[in-house]
Amino acid sequence: MEKITESQIEKGLQILKSLQNGKFISHANSCVHCGLCGESCMYYLAEKKSKFLPAQKVDLITSIYKKYFTFTGKTFPKLVNARELDEKTVNEMIDLFFGACTMCGRCNLHCSIGVDIAFLVRTGRIMLTEMGLTPASLQSTVNATISSGNNMSITTQEFVDTLKWLEEDLRDEVNDPNASIPLNEKGKDVMYTLNPREPKFFPLSISAMAKVFYAAKESWTISTEMYDITNYAFFSGNLKEARIIANRMVKEVKNLNVVNLVLAECGHGDRAFRWEAPNYLKTKFDFNVITSVELLAKYIKLGSVKVNKEKIKEIVTLHDPCNLVRNFGIVDEQRYVLSKTVSNFVEMTPHGIDNFCCGGGGGQLAMSEYNERRLKIGEIKANQIKKTGAQIVVTPCHNCVDQLVQLNSHYKLNVQIKTLAEIVADALIID
Amino acid sequence: MVHVELQGFLNPTGAFNCTAMAWYLVLTYFSLLLCLLSCIYHFSRIIRFGKPEDFSKPSGDLKAAIIYSYTGAMSPTKKESAYLHLPTYTAGIIYHIGTFLSIFLFILILFNIPFPEIIKWGLSIFLFLSFLSGMGILLKRFFKKELKELSNPDDYISNILVTLFQLMTIIFLYNNTVFYYITTSILLLYLPLGKLKHTIYFFAARYHLALFFGLRNVWPPKKIK
Repeated sequence: MEKITESQIEKGLQILKSLQNGKFISHANSCVHCGLCGESCMYYLAEKKSKFLPAQKVDLITSIYKKYFTFTGKTFPKLVNARELDEKTVNEMIDLFFGACTMCGRCNLHCSIGVDIAFLVRTGRIMLTEMGLTPASLQSTVNATISSGNNMSITTQEFVDTLKWLEEDLRDEVNDPNASIPLNEKGKDVMYTLNPREPKFFPLSISAMAKVFYAAKESWTISTEMYDITNYAFFSGNLKEARIIANRMVKEVKNLNVVNLVLAECGHGDRAFRWEAPNYLKTKFDFNVITSVELLAKYIKLGSVKVNKEKIKEIVTLHDPCNLVRNFGIVDEQRYVLSKTVSNFVEMTPHGIDNFCCGGGGGQLAMSEYNERRLKIGEIKANQIKKTGAQIVVTPCHNCVDQLVQLNSHYKLNVQIKTLAEIVADALIID
Repeated sequence: MVHVELQGFLNPTGAFNCTAMAWYLVLTYFSLLLCLLSCIYHFSRIIRFGKPEDFSKPSGDLKAAIIYSYTGAMSPTKKESAYLHLPTYTAGIIYHIGTFLSIFLFILILFNIPFPEIIKWGLSIFLFLSFLSGMGILLKRFFKKELKELSNPDDYISNILVTLFQLMTIIFLYNNTVFYYITTSILLLYLPLGKLKHTIYFFAARYHLALFFGLRNVWPPKKIK
């Protein structure tokens, strides 16, 4: 159990006070405890315990808000279950906000009132982080990014070596000695980002995208200074560090003087940069930001690349990353790409904005202390996949890939997990 | 012709004279005034606190999202909280209609507007259904383990007060009773304190949810091709 000091409590309450705005007070005062949100949350579905109800998470953060900032909570705390911010409350907060919510936002859509539960959970995470109570495993991922420039602490030399090796492979594959993975080139149309899991564990996804860029004759580059699109500080609720990370990307876009920043297949990273970074940096971007999913769809639509869907005959299904569909609005693009690249596509049930999270979001994959719970809630996704009869599961998110790879092994799904770029690369026709 | 006159304002000048007014009417007006002022306070807080400025480049149709938030997104076919819990959802809808109807009748009662017998019957039948729905929701809270663990005293009090208000409205339609005014006054005084104030915050919450999903082109949802 975490021990906390008066100073930590003070910091937690100060940040809660500063985070109060019309949005917060509206959501914090709207939950009616109907308890009908349970079936929309995979933690509740997997555990069937009251504490995992999304409404309980709402109640936890609002009970503190009521205790310190409302007349009823201050005067009649027992009436509305207003709670002190003490060790017991803090430990419940850590377990529920960090360990039992991926902030996938599925409950938001299905809440009878329309409470933004993920937003309230994130507010709780911001409080805990301000109090210095971020789970050590998650914080170490953030620290790695801050100190090394990427969350896997890959050295520049290691990164460059990997890309050079991939470049040689690309030349062999397309049989063109001039094919390249351009590094740090200024004035290009596209600066492509990566999830550091790619150079570390899944280099073939970089090859795939490089092959697509080659086929599209794209003017592109990768920065060796700042290529990591992830921002775990956004999930840990550390706004200062989230700003540092996002700022590095903005600076590098300007340094390389590129027109478009293309975000890698990384749900949370894409969301954290495209939608959230302008807000925590308090600036409007003066460059274009698009996801690689949108770019792939555009290439196919415009005929920039040619694909043959007969090349992929296996049954393919799609896992929609929560951050891409529910928090970004990208639903059609990945389906359009698959409609042109695979011949046998089956949707999961439910899918699109109703899709269940894989269980690895919200920093869960980085928090080893919750591994058992993460795999347990993943059973919902595993069953969804099984029901499709798919041989290939496509997901435009490296975080989801990681979780799906683990679910594949744990639940013996016997499927291949691929990114969208890998599918497009497999279906490519190179003249 | 129906003679419309606010109860208690019986002197020819129409001036407010609380000394000449029955105590329960004074209590009711006082409670109503406090309730309205508190609701205005809560509403003004929502406005005063403002919405967080969004610097990201919008990609959706915000107006359509706001409309969708109050219409399509509320449809029982769109929410698991509705279509997976149809009996509770139906009871909840009847209960809320019954509540708004009771509030509407309260205003008519204050203005001494009489109801024809046939309308009284219709209203009573619906309000009785609503009362039963309220009781059902209350019993569910008492007996369903997970709901019980989620609930605090405010949840029970709010449910009891609103259900009682509806019952008293039915009784009042046939028998002018002082208990109606007492129940209504307690409800009005309690409304801004507990969860019943979601009456105000609910609309703001849905607006903010529409802002989030609308800017990002999540709402209105696209039809998957």
